[in-house]
Amino acid sequence: MMSLPFLLFACGLAAGWTSRREAAMGFWVAGVLVLLVLFRLHATDVLNLGL
Amino acid sequence: MTADLSRLLNALGLVAVDTVLVLALADQLWFRDLPCPICILQRAGFIAAGFGIALNLIFGPRPSHYGLAILGAVVGGIMSADQVLHYIVPGSGSYGNAIFGLHLYTWALIMFVAIVVGCGVMLLFDRQYEPSGPIPLRQVTLPILAVALLALLAVANVVSTLAICGVGLCPETPGGYLIFNENLGLAQVKAP
Repeated sequence: MMSLPFLLFACGLAAGWTSRREAAMGFWVAGVLVLLVLFRLHATDVLNLGL
Repeated sequence: MTADLSRLLNALGLVAVDTVLVLALADQLWFRDLPCPICILQRAGFIAAGFGIALNLIFGPRPSHYGLAILGAVVGGIMSADQVLHYIVPGSGSYGNAIFGLHLYTWALIMFVAIVVGCGVMLLFDRQYEPSGPIPLRQVTLPILAVALLALLAVANVVSTLAICGVGLCPETPGGYLIFNENLGLAQVKAP
């Protein structure tokens, strides 16, 4: 699951390499969304800061 | 700024991103400094940022490509900043090895900010978007190598992340390569 963003970005680069720009950008959007979800799942500790 | 100069600067920028990812992998494999889950996500942030620069090199410079690079760097920078804030209070420890006095997540934050600033500066020059003639072969060698290396690093990180985390979420402090456990002796890799 953690490797999914890398896989999506690799697919996007492959799409770009084969001149499919829209598909490449679609893979990028999907990769970033997965990245944000994974960050949300992992960033569970409360910061020890008094802001 | 001409399209040729823009291409060269984008290629150099992507080489810088590639270098960061190569150094992160080298630190993991050579110094056995296993990345934490957020560190892995920061690597993905670098690839997300480099992706926009790669599209500039493949399709020619466009503001939307710079936008992807900036957004990717912002996402990665949020993760780096989160990790820096975790350890910013004196006595709260750190994660991994320090390089030139700063930990990798601090270097990552600096790099993400540099990417945002660099793309912002590049966006100022409108002449790069004008159509140019055929590109000489010697001017495409570096861009092709930089994009190919980014793709290779993305695939390498798929393998590396699968090795460390398996198919689920990563353990908070990885103690070894899950898929190699008790096979190659790599399970005894020291926990940072």
